[in-house]
Amino acid sequence: MNKNNRNTYAYLQAKKEKTASAGQTGLVFFPAFDWAISPTHPEREERLLYTRDQLFEEGIMDLPQICQYQPRLAEFKDIARVHFCVPDIETQATEAHRIAAGGALVIADALMSGEIKNGFALVRPPGHHAMRVVHGNRGFCNINNEPIMIEYLRQKFGLQRIAIVDTDVHHGDGTQDIYWHDPDTLFISFHQDGRTLYPGSGFTDEIGGPLAAGTTLNVPLPPGTTDEGILFVLDNLVLPVLDEFQPELIVNSAGQDNHYSDPLANMAFSARGYALLNEKLSPDIAVLEGGYSVETALPYVNLGIIMAMAGIDYSNLYEPDHSDNFFREERSNLKRLEEIVRELSGVFRRRKELVDATRRQNSGSLLQKHRQIYYDTDQIRETQLETIKVCSDCPGYLFIESAAVGRRGRYNIYCISIPIKCCPRCRQEARDQYAKMKRQDSKSFDYLYLQDRPDDVYLQYDFHLKREKAL
Amino acid sequence: MLIGIDVGGTFTDGVLCSEGRIINSAKHPTKEDDLQDSIFAVLDDLLQGIKSSNKTSSITQVVLSTTLVTNLLASGGGDEVALVLLPGPGLNFRNIDFLPHTYIATGAINFRGRVTEPLDQKEIEEIGKLIVDAGLHKVAVVGKFSQRNSSHERKVEEILKGRYSHLEVFRGFEVSGQLNFPRRAVTTYYTAVTREKWAGFAAGIEKAIRDRGIASPINILKADGGTMPLEVSLHYPCETVFSGPAASVMGAFALTMDRQTSVVVDIGGTTTDLALILEGKPLYASRGAVIGGRYSHVRSFAVRSIPLGGDSAIRWAGDSVTIGPDRLGPAACFGGPVATPTDAVNFLGEGKLGSLSLSVGALENVARRAGLTARELAQTIVLQVNERLEESIKEIFKAWEQEPAYKIWEIVNKRPVELDRAVGIGAAAESFVPSLANRLGCRALVHRYSPVANALGAAVARPTLSLLMHADTEQQTYYLNLEGISGKISPGWQLKDAKELARKQLQQIAEKRGIGRYADRYEFFLEEQFNMIRGWLTAGKLFDVGVQIAPGIIDDFKGVES
Repeated sequence: MNKNNRNTYAYLQAKKEKTASAGQTGLVFFPAFDWAISPTHPEREERLLYTRDQLFEEGIMDLPQICQYQPRLAEFKDIARVHFCVPDIETQATEAHRIAAGGALVIADALMSGEIKNGFALVRPPGHHAMRVVHGNRGFCNINNEPIMIEYLRQKFGLQRIAIVDTDVHHGDGTQDIYWHDPDTLFISFHQDGRTLYPGSGFTDEIGGPLAAGTTLNVPLPPGTTDEGILFVLDNLVLPVLDEFQPELIVNSAGQDNHYSDPLANMAFSARGYALLNEKLSPDIAVLEGGYSVETALPYVNLGIIMAMAGIDYSNLYEPDHSDNFFREERSNLKRLEEIVRELSGVFRRRKELVDATRRQNSGSLLQKHRQIYYDTDQIRETQLETIKVCSDCPGYLFIESAAVGRRGRYNIYCISIPIKCCPRCRQEARDQYAKMKRQDSKSFDYLYLQDRPDDVYLQYDFHLKREKAL
Repeated sequence: MLIGIDVGGTFTDGVLCSEGRIINSAKHPTKEDDLQDSIFAVLDDLLQGIKSSNKTSSITQVVLSTTLVTNLLASGGGDEVALVLLPGPGLNFRNIDFLPHTYIATGAINFRGRVTEPLDQKEIEEIGKLIVDAGLHKVAVVGKFSQRNSSHERKVEEILKGRYSHLEVFRGFEVSGQLNFPRRAVTTYYTAVTREKWAGFAAGIEKAIRDRGIASPINILKADGGTMPLEVSLHYPCETVFSGPAASVMGAFALTMDRQTSVVVDIGGTTTDLALILEGKPLYASRGAVIGGRYSHVRSFAVRSIPLGGDSAIRWAGDSVTIGPDRLGPAACFGGPVATPTDAVNFLGEGKLGSLSLSVGALENVARRAGLTARELAQTIVLQVNERLEESIKEIFKAWEQEPAYKIWEIVNKRPVELDRAVGIGAAAESFVPSLANRLGCRALVHRYSPVANALGAAVARPTLSLLMHADTEQQTYYLNLEGISGKISPGWQLKDAKELARKQLQQIAEKRGIGRYADRYEFFLEEQFNMIRGWLTAGKLFDVGVQIAPGIIDDFKGVES
């Protein structure tokens, strides 16, 4: 922490108007004070109220290290680049969702233009449980803010290798789903063991799709894990893996519910632990995810993340009820974490081997997987058949057949996704499939989607109305 | 009759007006070391002609806008003050060189107004000893979230005065109840630094005015474009900073009296001040006035000052023509040493100002070195002035459009600025504002009163008062940003109750401050309520309500003659 203890003479000198500079940390603070899932839901107006009070009273936005930005509305096309929304984007992404995603886009633009050195989109509603296909809200999420930002960055600025470190206490199953087949996106999630918490996934054997094995890494933490445990995982797994992966951009999917006071989980992380994590991880962009201890954690954790990212001394940051001796890790836990780190380091090291073996055995064939997904918030049950083309030249295209039953009725959809690095042959095959499906005038599907990332074109065909929408 | 006097950096202007007509105006150079003298000179000029006929009794208001406090802070001429901070968790103030004589103490309050860390009596006593040993008599005490629970600040005062009864203690919660602890500390500190000197100055002004037979109320212009009675200003000296630019904006109001969107362009000798009026409402600096290089809780217009005025020195820099940033004296046409933008305009406009030949001579001096004709040089200068003003105005728009927003409707309904008009203030406005307006694609308004519109603005400004209330039904408490007022509420409170109490409090404070006449002009500018949910049940509500007497023009003034 010593490097932060520099004398801070200029901290409270007024900035000259709004002149962003490369040394600053960008901040979008969008508490959505007029939006809630329902009046008593954890994801409600009050969630960032005390965070506002703490940040404003601290005067953190007045510091020359911080440059505050206003969010914007994400375009429908930004959303279509990532999601297949059923029945349409307008239904799934309200203005609040579009502003939260747009907050991340504003930070991304500011970073790429060199206006800031890093940035934090302190926005709600969150997004990391939203998968590719969206029938409704899962785990308080409709659309996934980080992938929307990442795919925007890839289209607009040509970025390729990106790492997402999901530090929310819940497994980032939505983000994992979106990048399951993408070897250029390293997704690392550490979270409370899925046997003890929603969404019940995120085990060490979930390592990515057949052509992207080893670029998804899941660290299930035993309930009660402390700063010490999480920082052990950071030092011994996350940082070495990042060092080898050499991403062009590191994104922290920054949930704050590992905190010892969170009402929906059972971990023992502190505000200063979060600050230290962010200092070590040094993400280019952090995006707020969950965290529902609105009074006792969020005001301090958010402040800690901002301070760490901006290089401000956080040695005086602590929760009022904090005591240093809460936070010693149990020996047995550390031992379990050591095993996980060893296992996952091995998976990551062997990732090329794993993918090469798949290609050797299955080149040219289509691999299929059945799965079921449940949407807790909106009470929907979805079944999927996912088909991936195993190509020796590219990450392959993806077909998804999805059927869901919820309060709005039953929907059957067929989705085609062409990754940005798709080879010309696969691209043609996928486009032909779309044309063929459209011609067939199917009775078994309501909608047909084409996500053509190489051309940045997104189509949705309505079999009932025989109408196509393009974005 | 109304009197308005605006002490500017270069000149002190005054007007005496009645029924929309300026009867008398006066201008004297500002003597920085003796502001009173400049004010009295202007006052005496204004009273010429009405003094003998004993009409001083018909003067109904005197408003003064002055740079005294600004100067005191810039020159370090105020009193030495100790600052005791109670920061609690957050920024490490022990490692921050915040202000001179700053002492950090333990003790913390959280955002709900709960004590989360007790004071350490012994530590405060030790700090008291250090303060006294340093020979200081004034102490500002400021705690984080002290506006939501002032017990720590009160206790610190009690401990300090218990030991050292001669200490004068200024408490943060009484100076400002708005969120932002460093700004509260800065504002409280500078209040302590300037209060005594300001009181001496105010007493001198009052005596001089009474000696001249004027019995009317004496008001002081604030940075937010409103006035406060002289006796109220004794408590809030910091509110008087930047009242000069506020006078210009109020002058623009006095000239227009409508709900249009205007940019106010006040072209002085050395600088030009730019401000924005959006649909009749002046734009405020979102971070408060910057005092001594630090943000404060003083509400102030968002004024952008650029070092470019009618008298800015023009030079050939070897590869380009430069304008300013300095002023070497008046324009050449009035006997000044070098060519200025005023000379350029004078030349192009065929010499309506002073001596045309002096303008031409000064311009040719520079033009020769630049390889230009005097006309080409003059055109270059006018173009450059316009370009720089236009650029700054666009930056103001952009800054406004990028102001953070915290609600969905604010983002969805955000519209870009559509400018109706550029309002020129100051003597040089006539020369520059029409062509500037042309570039901006809006109308220009330059009135024959534009040269003294700042003093006119001061003369006709009405009082302002801005109240913020935070109420917590679970804690059954409310807090105001003004005077450290707090009190009890019932757990069943609703937003309408919060609004009603805020309005009543505004009225009471207005009456106490002698501006009760304007209390019925209140408007709500903030209405927020949050349900506090604990364990799926509503545990209470939080309200934030803002109500204000907005800046405006006094009832007696119906607008200028066209």
